[in-house]
Amino acid sequence: MSNAPHILVIDDELQIQRAIRTILTEKGFNVSVASRGEEGLTLAATNEPDIVILDLGLPDMDGVEVCTRLREWTQCPIIILSVRDSERDKVEALDKGADDYLTKPFGIEELLARVRVALRHSANRQGTQSKIVKAGDITIDLAWHSVKRGEEDIKLTATEYKLLAYLAANHGRVLTHQSILTNVWDPADADHTEYLRVYMRQLRKKLELDPESPQVIITEPGIGYRFIADD
Amino acid sequence: MVTAILFPMREYMETALVALLYLIPLGLITAYFGLGPGITSALATFLTFNYFFIQPYYRLAVHRPADVVILVIFLVVAIVISQLVGRMQAGLAAATAREREATRLYELSTALAGLHDRHTIADILAKQVLEVSHAEAVEIHITGADSFVHRLPPDLKTVRPPEWILPIQVAQGVLGEIQLWRAEPVLTSGEKRLLQTFASQGALALERARLAKAESRARVLEESDRLKSAILSSVSHELRTPLSTIKAAASSLRSNQVSWESAARPELIAAIDDEADHLNMLVGNLLDMSRIESGVLKPKREWNILPEIVGSVLGRMRRMAGERRIEVDVPEGLPLVPVDYVQMEQVFTNLLSNSIKYAPEKSVIRVRAFLEDELVHVIVQNQGPHIPQEHLERIFDKFFRLTDSDRVTGTGLGLSICKGIIEAHGGKLWAENVTDGLAFNFTFPRAWEGMPPPQMPMDTENE
Repeated sequence: MSNAPHILVIDDELQIQRAIRTILTEKGFNVSVASRGEEGLTLAATNEPDIVILDLGLPDMDGVEVCTRLREWTQCPIIILSVRDSERDKVEALDKGADDYLTKPFGIEELLARVRVALRHSANRQGTQSKIVKAGDITIDLAWHSVKRGEEDIKLTATEYKLLAYLAANHGRVLTHQSILTNVWDPADADHTEYLRVYMRQLRKKLELDPESPQVIITEPGIGYRFIADD
Repeated sequence: MVTAILFPMREYMETALVALLYLIPLGLITAYFGLGPGITSALATFLTFNYFFIQPYYRLAVHRPADVVILVIFLVVAIVISQLVGRMQAGLAAATAREREATRLYELSTALAGLHDRHTIADILAKQVLEVSHAEAVEIHITGADSFVHRLPPDLKTVRPPEWILPIQVAQGVLGEIQLWRAEPVLTSGEKRLLQTFASQGALALERARLAKAESRARVLEESDRLKSAILSSVSHELRTPLSTIKAAASSLRSNQVSWESAARPELIAAIDDEADHLNMLVGNLLDMSRIESGVLKPKREWNILPEIVGSVLGRMRRMAGERRIEVDVPEGLPLVPVDYVQMEQVFTNLLSNSIKYAPEKSVIRVRAFLEDELVHVIVQNQGPHIPQEHLERIFDKFFRLTDSDRVTGTGLGLSICKGIIEAHGGKLWAENVTDGLAFNFTFPRAWEGMPPPQMPMDTENE
């Protein structure tokens, strides 16, 4: 079991701890658990986990703060857990370096899916990142700036391509409106969500089979977007 | 002056007549200048009279005994007249002052009557105090939970401490104080009395305001208390329904009463999962409702694409719609709309799920959006049953149900949340019966004050 990925869970609710620990252990992961932020930071430093699952509502410190302090020295994926109606906290944690989020209550399938994405992501970070991203019949070559459906080129404008490339390079991760606007446009445009809405709609029309139920670029309402690549 | 007029005639006139003539100016002097000057001029006249008119002239000596009698009588009469006239004058002045005081007090109490706002009370009190006290500045300090200082004139700065401080107090304690700045540091007893009466009038008005506020607060609390217990009983019923299902399913799975191979097993598990979702939705709706009611549901307005919002909601609802067909007419050409994406999604979700719940299978649900002057108008129309005219507004009330609550599942909050969200967007939501069903209509402004119109940056072809 020593080669199994190590997951650190930081959550003060005992029932949640128990449920997550049981299921993740069952699935073959090594699991360690902390109930407080400080304890979690210490465990993270000693155990060097592959993934951190972090609840934003901790008794001793702000979850966003834990996120910031983890990011000072580790790039390991952080999945945040939070209750509904705390979009602002989620966005803040994501902007501070968290990779993904889950809203309580969540199904265990959702949790396992996020863990899988996170593991793949941390593997990508360690090795050389693939320059080719595939999603269904869409192939994006980040080195050659080409986007194809099957063998056929999809014509994109410069901004549409920049937007797609940023999302595809970070596939699996939730990207906040602000981080997309900052990276694709300019930090000064971080509030112009309308740019994002308009270009995303154009992009989806060219990319998605059914733009109304997108499969490649998913909307995370109130938060941002996520690019879903093939496994 | 009298001396000058009478002097040339002194040889031809009786001494007594001269004395009588002297009394006229004396009375006038007392009447105009008061008791003190009256008596002083009586003495002065006495001496002048003696000096000029009693022989020997130009000396304060008297030769004739009759003249002595005249002189003494003159002095006594002069003093008595002075005193009488003086006293009358003082009495008149006091009466006028008292009348003025009474008028002031009357003015103040009429001005304060029926006032329930402490700031207005302080303002009126300050104005009246400033007027009667001839002060340079007046400050009314109101103490208590939300204390404040009212200052007149508002822009005059005084560096020195106030010369006078009067407490504004009632039996229960001090409500504040009046501070006075004035160059003349001594208050007459009349002024003092008047100011004290003003202070107590002010205290009464403030106390009245406090009581009125407490009373209306008590009424509001009572009302909201009644509403809360009504909601609470509804909520506990709504919460218990899914909980009962979960409890029943989980306990039967645990007690081995359902064998591992039984077909009921996956069904029970699905029931637990579904009802947990339902419970979660209910809690979420309750949270939204409480945020709407406490006024903290502030839309995060951004320029959004209405067809995108509608499309993403439809994408998720197709499965729920079953065999009902959803027709959408939300033109791509609509301008961007200044709305909260998440909240607007919720409005469409709730209106559509309501339509799906009540409309028969295989019927058509239509979603339309169009511009109407400065408004965006959206219609979600279904072929479900009509709603009695008298209930068309009530369906947006919390927990209002037309049908038996066991037949249709839901939270009873969906439509009132929609109404709350649309109203927070500065819009209107209403329902109307149409020929073949029911239509939900809502409108909201297509522009929003303080939000610059959307702009698009330049774009070029990808190389």
